[in-house]
Amino acid sequence: MHKTWAVIRREFIERVRTRQFLIGTVLGPILMAVLIMAPILLQRNTRVKHLVVLDAAQGQLGSRVELALVKATRDDKPGGAVRYRVERVVAGDRPLEAVRDSLVAMTDRRELGEKSLDGVVLITEDVLTRDTVKYLGGNVGSMAEMGALSRIVRQAVLLEKLTRAGIDPNLMVASVKPVDLYALKVSQGQLTGQSGEASFALAYVMSFVLYMALLLYGVQVMTSTVEEKTNRINEILVSSLRPFQLLLGKIVGVGSVGLLQLSIWAGTAWLLTSQRLAIAKAFGTSPEAISSMPIPDIPAGVLAVFLLFFLLGFFFYSAAYAAVGSSCNTVQETQQASMPVTILIAAGLMLMFRLLDEPNGHLARVLSLVPPFAPFVTPVRNSLSPLPLQELLASVAVMIIGVLVMAWLAGRIYRVGILMYGKRPSMREMLRWVRVR
Amino acid sequence: MAQPVVQVDNITKRFAGHTAVRNLSLEIPAGVIFGLLGPNGAGKSTTIRMIMDIIEPDEGRVVLFGGALKGRDLSERIGFLPEERGLYKKMRVIDHLVFFAEIKGMPSRAARQKASQWLERLGLHDWVNHKVEDLSKGMQQKVQFAGTLLHEPDLLLLDEPFSGLDPVNAQVMKDVVVDIARQGKTVLFSTHIMEQAEKMCDHVVIISRGQKVVDGTMAEIKREAGGQHVALAFHRDAGKAARVLQDRSLVAKADDYGASAELELAAGADPDRLLQALVLSGAGISRFEMVEPSLESIFIAKVGKDAAVAVAVEDGPNA
Repeated sequence: MHKTWAVIRREFIERVRTRQFLIGTVLGPILMAVLIMAPILLQRNTRVKHLVVLDAAQGQLGSRVELALVKATRDDKPGGAVRYRVERVVAGDRPLEAVRDSLVAMTDRRELGEKSLDGVVLITEDVLTRDTVKYLGGNVGSMAEMGALSRIVRQAVLLEKLTRAGIDPNLMVASVKPVDLYALKVSQGQLTGQSGEASFALAYVMSFVLYMALLLYGVQVMTSTVEEKTNRINEILVSSLRPFQLLLGKIVGVGSVGLLQLSIWAGTAWLLTSQRLAIAKAFGTSPEAISSMPIPDIPAGVLAVFLLFFLLGFFFYSAAYAAVGSSCNTVQETQQASMPVTILIAAGLMLMFRLLDEPNGHLARVLSLVPPFAPFVTPVRNSLSPLPLQELLASVAVMIIGVLVMAWLAGRIYRVGILMYGKRPSMREMLRWVRVR
Repeated sequence: MAQPVVQVDNITKRFAGHTAVRNLSLEIPAGVIFGLLGPNGAGKSTTIRMIMDIIEPDEGRVVLFGGALKGRDLSERIGFLPEERGLYKKMRVIDHLVFFAEIKGMPSRAARQKASQWLERLGLHDWVNHKVEDLSKGMQQKVQFAGTLLHEPDLLLLDEPFSGLDPVNAQVMKDVVVDIARQGKTVLFSTHIMEQAEKMCDHVVIISRGQKVVDGTMAEIKREAGGQHVALAFHRDAGKAARVLQDRSLVAKADDYGASAELELAAGADPDRLLQALVLSGAGISRFEMVEPSLESIFIAKVGKDAAVAVAVEDGPNA
């Protein structure tokens, strides 16, 4: 036990000491913070655009457009932050071109301060017949802004057309209003207050993090196994430890590093998401704007299951990776040799995406009980809607059995592999290693 | 007589296609320096690995310290330096030594203390906190040596301990080994460098093609080899002596090294007559001495010229 402990400690300390670990551990939370803060900061920094409606049309059209622009809000909901500061200039008897040019001369000129215009909306009489509105501005390159503008103007023009045709525009607006489906998640008879979008996003992120973490740390076990071979240090180790003690120490050591790093990440994610309203307030953004973003609250239970299945999956896959590493002579060789294991992990991720459509379907339930895939399927299903305890326990139990079988198999291969140099063994030879006493 | 520290009882190990060790038995008494000699491929490393329980013999058994425990379980009492030896390049020297001691069962605090002492003794105290990869090759070998010894084992198994060492470092290591043997510890080392074995070993076993060909104390082996031996050295015209060396009425066997030679006189031949013949041949003689047979000549006589050639070739890449 003391000996295995020495191996665990070595693997842990030597890894935590590296620069990569430090950078990875710090960079993860920073990246997450940026992802969460960026929308908040963007919301705050978007300027109110200064527009002029140059009105050269008869009747209400110009003022309708003006009104529509004034009322436009950033999130298209009443009471939100306004998009535009609007002035209406009536051409009257002056030549249109002259007025237009004088306005254009004031457009996109920062040095004018408040008076600088962002753009000019040209409303002429032929708007109604040719169905075209001209816009002259400094921001025409922005797809989002042009999209919003054309939507608002189109609406105003439509209202004017209806009025001229003698139809009550209010009736029309009320009739064509689309019906929203507001989906709220219910889990086990309880309203969670979480939107479907949000839990979906969480499931997505979790599958990716699992995929990356299993691959990253699994490959670390493999590399360290093969490095002990290239460094010719195995014989010294094996003269003091049983190969299985060495394998166990290595896997537990690297696994603890992974668990530490993931816990730091998960902790940051939980802190940032649960405190995002406070953060938004600190940056002066409206809380409404923040809650409209599909960022989920992450329940602690979901995180715990996630970490548990990361560990189980890690034990399973890293044992397989260690077996591969022990059969190779160089790190380059492992790249090809590890393909079957890597493909299995990738398959788990792919399957997961298919299952997101029907997380409690027949296939999903079965895959929760298949060791190579359960580490993906179970925690992600659990994040979509908490699984019944017995289903969760069954998945854990199957995983534990899977881990034990894999560890036994890998241990048999490892024991022979670490002292073998030369040609890489075939699959059949490795099976023979498993069988020898 | 006291219980032998290592008792190898009729072991055989076969690998796919060939038998590496065949019916080998040997006993290592306590407190001796024991040489396991043989050309490469003779089965030295395989034998040591079986003693250490890294591989199991197909037949026969190994008894250590007269008990039932295997090499791995006795790692606290055994210092093993394998032929294939390396270090973790990224680890700090002191941490590495502590790790080596810990996996042998030593508590870490004691290990740290011992590691410092050994680094001091081997002149590496300035490198304690450096990474292994910063050290020169010679220094790394010293670290390995320290890692083998710092848990103060009762039995040392050193597989080609001096191969690849420069003369200065080899001297340092040799002194350490001799010192340990003086403290009553038992040392087994394998080598194919005969001069070294001859100077250091109390007891020698020579194996060839997996089988034992010589076993005994140094004195016994030399006595058994018998015959009258002459060491010769020339300072000029060595070629002129060639005909004398080939005279089978005077010389039974000659190891001719060009500037020097070791001869075994033919049965009943008179050394005076040999000297006379050599002087008459016109070669310039700088040494003519009646000697005991060297271990090298015994080795070559027992293992054969073919193996001797193999040894010479194998010295290159190993160094």
